[in-house]
Amino acid sequence: MQKRIVTMLTAMSLMLPAVALAASGDALFLQSCGACHKKGGKAAIVNPADKAGTVWEKYFARGRHPGDMGMSDADLQSVIKYLVAHAADSDQPAAAVIPK
Amino acid sequence: MKKILLTAGALLAWTSCAVAGAGGQSVVSIPAEDYKAILERLDTLQKRVDQMEKAESPSAKATSAAMPSKLAKDVETIYDTLDKVETKTLKDRISLGAELRTRADFFKVKNNANLSPGSLVEEHNDNHWSNRFRLNLDSEIQKNLLFTGRVTAYKNFNNNASNIYANDSNAAHIPGDTGLKLDRAYVDWIPEGMPIPLALTFGRHPSSEGPPSELKENRLRQSTYPSLLFDGESDGVVATVGLERYLGWKNSGIRFAWGKTYQDTNTSVAYMDTYGGAVDDSNVFAAFFETEIPGVRDSLLVLSALRANDLTANNYYLGNSAATSANNIGNMDLYGIHVQANNVADSGFDIFLSTGLNKTHPSGTIGYDTNGSIATLEGTAGLMNNDGTTSHTGWAVHTGLRYNIPYKPWNNPKVGFEYNHGSDYWFNFTWGSAELYNKLATRGDAYDFYYIQPFNDNLFGRLGYTHIDYNYSNSGLHIGDFGESTAELDNLYFLLDVRF
Repeated sequence: MQKRIVTMLTAMSLMLPAVALAASGDALFLQSCGACHKKGGKAAIVNPADKAGTVWEKYFARGRHPGDMGMSDADLQSVIKYLVAHAADSDQPAAAVIPK
Repeated sequence: MKKILLTAGALLAWTSCAVAGAGGQSVVSIPAEDYKAILERLDTLQKRVDQMEKAESPSAKATSAAMPSKLAKDVETIYDTLDKVETKTLKDRISLGAELRTRADFFKVKNNANLSPGSLVEEHNDNHWSNRFRLNLDSEIQKNLLFTGRVTAYKNFNNNASNIYANDSNAAHIPGDTGLKLDRAYVDWIPEGMPIPLALTFGRHPSSEGPPSELKENRLRQSTYPSLLFDGESDGVVATVGLERYLGWKNSGIRFAWGKTYQDTNTSVAYMDTYGGAVDDSNVFAAFFETEIPGVRDSLLVLSALRANDLTANNYYLGNSAATSANNIGNMDLYGIHVQANNVADSGFDIFLSTGLNKTHPSGTIGYDTNGSIATLEGTAGLMNNDGTTSHTGWAVHTGLRYNIPYKPWNNPKVGFEYNHGSDYWFNFTWGSAELYNKLATRGDAYDFYYIQPFNDNLFGRLGYTHIDYNYSNSGLHIGDFGESTAELDNLYFLLDVRF
């Protein structure tokens, strides 16, 4: 039993970096995008579930976001990954990350 | 354009120099005709450049300067609209379709004695009405992952009673209560990167209303399996290997199927077998090879082989509730050849011929009593025998044709005829048959006429008449050996089908 618990804990600890990585897109979205896309902000409120995953990808691939997002390419990719993972057609659509 | 012209000129000049250089001080000449042609070509190019520059007048320049912002705005609006439409489309993961059938049957039975299970028990039943509703679902989850489903409510008019002959193979195919039954729900998975074309199908299968049922039902093919051999709902896994690329025969492939016709479960612990005295599960293993017949457009050939192990029996279909407990009574082999061709030589005729052969491997009996007393058992019943050991072989043939009447004012109606004959010991797995009396299980002769009248693309009616002469009793049942029959069945019906 003890061995099983140790094995499970080891496995869980190995998964932690992945969880942290996944959370970074979430945090970036809230910090960077949420700075403008908020109630009373410069831009309309936006949430991952506003568009389907492939629509988000095409949106950024076409360079449709007006103005400078003030993000590095790597950060932008993290945000896109997060948006797709929680898009309208995903298994976990997120509609109220930024409160409406 | 100007750049191209300049480049061409420079290249020409450089080439001339290079040629001159190669020859020292001497001047190398090229044929006058070639030189003239080059000059003419240069003139032509120059003229085109001039024209293009002229076309870009000040007013045109002003327009083109104004266009980008307007265009960009329009494009952005279009993109926004597309985003909404595409998102909505992607969120609608399942496409829905529906079918409604209202059917009126008029039955007449003579010398009724042990017709097929689930069929008529009354001697006479005029005016039998039923409704069948089907909800069809499908989804392309991913490019190589497809889902198809169907739930059905099938009931008699003003009657919400469950049919006592309903079992897991026909729950959605005989009238019962108003509840929705799971008719089919399966996923086709086409794994990528496989060395051979492979598809895996798992779930509740499209194993009912197979060819040639689609002719009479006036629709596309609904099942993999020829309806003479297998027609019912089933849970299992099927692997399909595409053979077209190897054989060069259109739509050729082979399927390996596994399913269970019975799975023993403990009534109090759902995930375990019954303790002690329980019957073994019934497993079905099958292989089907199919192809379009080379050289015959819109045709089908299916070769089938099926083994059902550990078939079970209980007293349920033998008259009453008292009997020894359920038991395994043996194995059954089933083979078939199905040939079909639609619109043969553009004649408007669809034709088919289907044959089947079955052989039993008996290994047990149950005791039964039609009066409900275990103490006074009337006898025993095995796999199409009463002794539990005698093996039998049966056969059947099913043939017919449909003619598509080329008369547009009446929306090209169709008329068809089918005939099937089953020997004394013929047995197939067709409890989910579209005909309530399990026509293709008949141990005798069945004659079937129908006329299909389309009213529009979504609504059609069918008027039909079926006559069956039974030679042997208990058609469609694998339990017991009950001898000859003189029963006759007549069925006149009319139905209306709406599909959308």
